[in-house]
Amino acid sequence: MNEPVLQVSGVSVVLDGESVLEDISFSVRKGEALAIIGPNGAGKSVLLKALLGLVPSQGSIMWAKGVHIGYVPQRFHPDRTIPLTVKEFLLFKSPAFWRPTKDFFAHLDHELSIVGLKKEILGHHVSDLSGGQFQRLMIAWAMTGHPDVLLFDEPTAGIDVGAEETIYSILHRLQKERGTTVLLVSHDLSIVYRYSQHVLCINKKMICHGAPEDVLTPGDLKRIYGETGFYHHHEDPTRTT
Amino acid sequence: MDILFVQALLIAIVVGAASGAVGAFIILRRMALVGDALSHVALPGIALALMWSLDPFWMVLAFLLGAAVVVWFCERQTTLPAEAIVGLLFTASLAIGILTIPDHEILESLFGGFPKLPVSELIFILGAAIGITVLVFMLSRRMLFTIVSPELAKVNGGNALVGLIVLLIFATVVAIGIKLVGTLLMGALTIIPAAVAKNVSPSARSYIVLSTVFGAIIAGAGVAGAAWSGVLPGPTIVLVGIAAFLISLGFLGRRRAGQ
Repeated sequence: MNEPVLQVSGVSVVLDGESVLEDISFSVRKGEALAIIGPNGAGKSVLLKALLGLVPSQGSIMWAKGVHIGYVPQRFHPDRTIPLTVKEFLLFKSPAFWRPTKDFFAHLDHELSIVGLKKEILGHHVSDLSGGQFQRLMIAWAMTGHPDVLLFDEPTAGIDVGAEETIYSILHRLQKERGTTVLLVSHDLSIVYRYSQHVLCINKKMICHGAPEDVLTPGDLKRIYGETGFYHHHEDPTRTT
Repeated sequence: MDILFVQALLIAIVVGAASGAVGAFIILRRMALVGDALSHVALPGIALALMWSLDPFWMVLAFLLGAAVVVWFCERQTTLPAEAIVGLLFTASLAIGILTIPDHEILESLFGGFPKLPVSELIFILGAAIGITVLVFMLSRRMLFTIVSPELAKVNGGNALVGLIVLLIFATVVAIGIKLVGTLLMGALTIIPAAVAKNVSPSARSYIVLSTVFGAIIAGAGVAGAAWSGVLPGPTIVLVGIAAFLISLGFLGRRRAGQ
């Protein structure tokens, strides 16, 4: 539980001559759930992309050796004109695309059942799934091959509230049962309080890092989101961590 | 004529299959017009080869591979839309080709013919077409994944060079098919089988397989039809392909109604 799986030190990102992130430092331990919060345009998604090497960055990003990462980007919708089935989408994770093994299908059935999807969905076109089904599929997809770390960029953007709850409970279960480290970008503070042990607040620069109860003071929230007080947290009796 | 026909039919089937296989990805990458225009770059290659009394095949191959690298580079490095650069580069190629290729060669260069090939070249063409088809199938997971989501493909060990690989494979297919189908129509042989397959395929894997099979059938039937009616094979192949496409529209309607 105590080994650091990721150490970030002094990371800055400049895109098209504009500074998007400046001097971000934090670390994540194995099995921890870290929520990354901040207003729109704060650089949350860019931070995840920098961690994955998808955008160029300065500073040091050190992943533990041999760590296997699963990633779900924000608002990813496959092109409707590509006749891709759910099975084929999942087969992207298998080296045997044309002749997959029975073991791989057994593994898929297991991952699909965890996220509450039936195996009949394998024959459906990816573009025909509802927002909630697709997000569950993305979790199953990210979990295929049992990664050590999951990176989620607003996993519930654009889906209804009921499905949102289910997705967070699935993520929480995976973290508890498999010891998967979870890095989660979210704008919903009640989710942060309920499901994450640590929170990283950014608004282009680093604002705070620590346990939600310790660092999310009214002063910090004002520094993150401005004076509007738009994001209120109400103590949640169902909190599980 | 018999030997020429058998030779043309063999080339048509294997090059048609290779065109269909790579065409499946050209259509998904929305590069149909870029690919079509790329084939025109062969014309200055033919002109230079004729001027220097060289075999046009190798010059065409060199020009097309060079053009594929230029297109890929422009796509990545410039802020101009790729299609604008492609439009400029390739209409210039067409203009240079028309002005420099001797009149008696121009029709065959543009619309193809029944080529008289040395055995070594025939073997190279057949081997290259079969090799390309196998290569496309081996790379199809990675290519499809990168087309669906470049980001996810990169995180999962994808290759940033997939775009270049598709273009280089396409350029080689055009080079080996150009003597039969011609520079103006070769692009169509990569687009039409994939368009037909897309209308009838329930999944991505069946789409790639059917595009390959339709490529072989359309090109083979086109060559047979051209030999039977005594016309050029290039236009006949395209018209057979268009007929197949019109038939496939019926399947598309039925699939939509069934949804």
